[in-house]
Amino acid sequence: MIILTGEEIFKNIVDSIVNLEEDKAVELANEALKKKINLLEVVEKGFSAGIRKVGELWEDGEFFLPELMRGAQIMQKCLDILIPHLQKGSEEISHGKVVIATIEGDIHSIGKTIVATMLRAYGFEVYDLGADVPAEKIIQEAVEKKADIIGVSALLTTTMTGQKKIIEILREKNLMNKFKVILGGAPVTSAWVEECNAHGSAENAIEAVKLVKSLLNK
Amino acid sequence: MSFHDWLEDDSKTILFDGGLGSELIKRGLTSGKIPDILNIEQSEIISEIHKSYYDAGSDMCQTNTFGSTPLNLSHYNLEIRIEEIIENALENIKKVRLSGCLIVGDIGPTGEFRPPVGNASSDEWYSSFSIQVKLLETGVDLWHIETISDLEEMLTAIRAVRDVSKKPLIASITYKRTKKGFFTIMGDSLEKCVETLNNEDVDVIGANCTLGSNDMLDLLKNAIEFTDKPLSVKPNAGQPVIKGDQTYYEQPINEFVNDIKEMIGVGAKIVGGCCGTSPKTINAIRKIIDSL
Repeated sequence: MIILTGEEIFKNIVDSIVNLEEDKAVELANEALKKKINLLEVVEKGFSAGIRKVGELWEDGEFFLPELMRGAQIMQKCLDILIPHLQKGSEEISHGKVVIATIEGDIHSIGKTIVATMLRAYGFEVYDLGADVPAEKIIQEAVEKKADIIGVSALLTTTMTGQKKIIEILREKNLMNKFKVILGGAPVTSAWVEECNAHGSAENAIEAVKLVKSLLNK
Repeated sequence: MSFHDWLEDDSKTILFDGGLGSELIKRGLTSGKIPDILNIEQSEIISEIHKSYYDAGSDMCQTNTFGSTPLNLSHYNLEIRIEEIIENALENIKKVRLSGCLIVGDIGPTGEFRPPVGNASSDEWYSSFSIQVKLLETGVDLWHIETISDLEEMLTAIRAVRDVSKKPLIASITYKRTKKGFFTIMGDSLEKCVETLNNEDVDVIGANCTLGSNDMLDLLKNAIEFTDKPLSVKPNAGQPVIKGDQTYYEQPINEFVNDIKEMIGVGAKIVGGCCGTSPKTINAIRKIIDSL
């Protein structure tokens, strides 16, 4: 039997994620548990480093949607194995809470789901409310979950006004200082973000992760 | 003249229609409803938009049935109204179609992805497309499967059409530009898509949406290398800009039309527009085609 050091396991984990090898990734997560390797390091130097690499390959046009989603799903499966064994559970690796939804009247969920999946893979606690969700409901959930970030997606130019409505309601209720609001969807531009007084938008899922990290100073 | 006669006439460039969504917005229909239900609720406006494209010089216009599959309509709890929606869609276009012009049955994506991106299966796609095709078949002259971002879904849609209909078929995929060339978001290259469609029972290979006219011109120059079949292009008029509660497409019409002119020169057989294009755009292209 070959005995692997921590550093070697980290490298193998990165490779298993980048090569989209689910069985191998799961095996390595279990091995790390058995060997009592520092699990925070396993997450950070192994799985997170792996998914970052997948994200880079996607941004470079080497990977496409199926690889990106598969990588994030494998990562999620492994985190589900490791998190119960962390001393304080998910809080220990959670970088913050995100409530995300596609706005009312709009059923386009794929972009929003990809962003949610990537944020989860990067260690955020994500509450995905689905598509066609009224602004009031999104805010109610964000308050209940004590979210740091509200992400609102709209793919239709006809439903984008719902993104603005979120901020108007937050202002009316004096809740604007509680959350950072980010906007997503193909028609969203920086001019629209400015007009809505939102906190940002991103071109793609990887940029969205960077945006959320920077908004939360992570 | 039939569509096949047009295809065989080397001097003919076929003019398709332009965008529907931006025309609806112009008329204040910004409710976020699926446009297909407007075949029933605002049938006069839908007819008016079709008419404006025929009047502008389109040789053929497509039915307002982009989302009229059970899978897509189910997102709005409208799948039980599919027959009524499609019946009205055919009526709306038939009553304004000009003599000598054609009606194209429009088939858009189901909105459901296969794993690992979504949960759809090929069987679900097939049965969804089949229902749409059977309902449209009697009222259309030809088909346009469009804005498809997964080659697998396209092949399934083609099978669904061909199991029911012998009418001409245009198969248009939507591509994004990457550092390594044009790809679908699912990772199929332009070369793979065009070569695959070249071996399918389709009459025209097309590309539409996502790309503006400038990028579409480059795509066409590439695509033509991989097939001898006629090619169709329906680019967007740049990207939308939101001001207040209104959406604007700011690319000047002459810029778009100049690109289209170049595409005709490169060898596009069918030209038209997608998001952000209007009857004005189509009319400007009509003038270019007539002057060639």
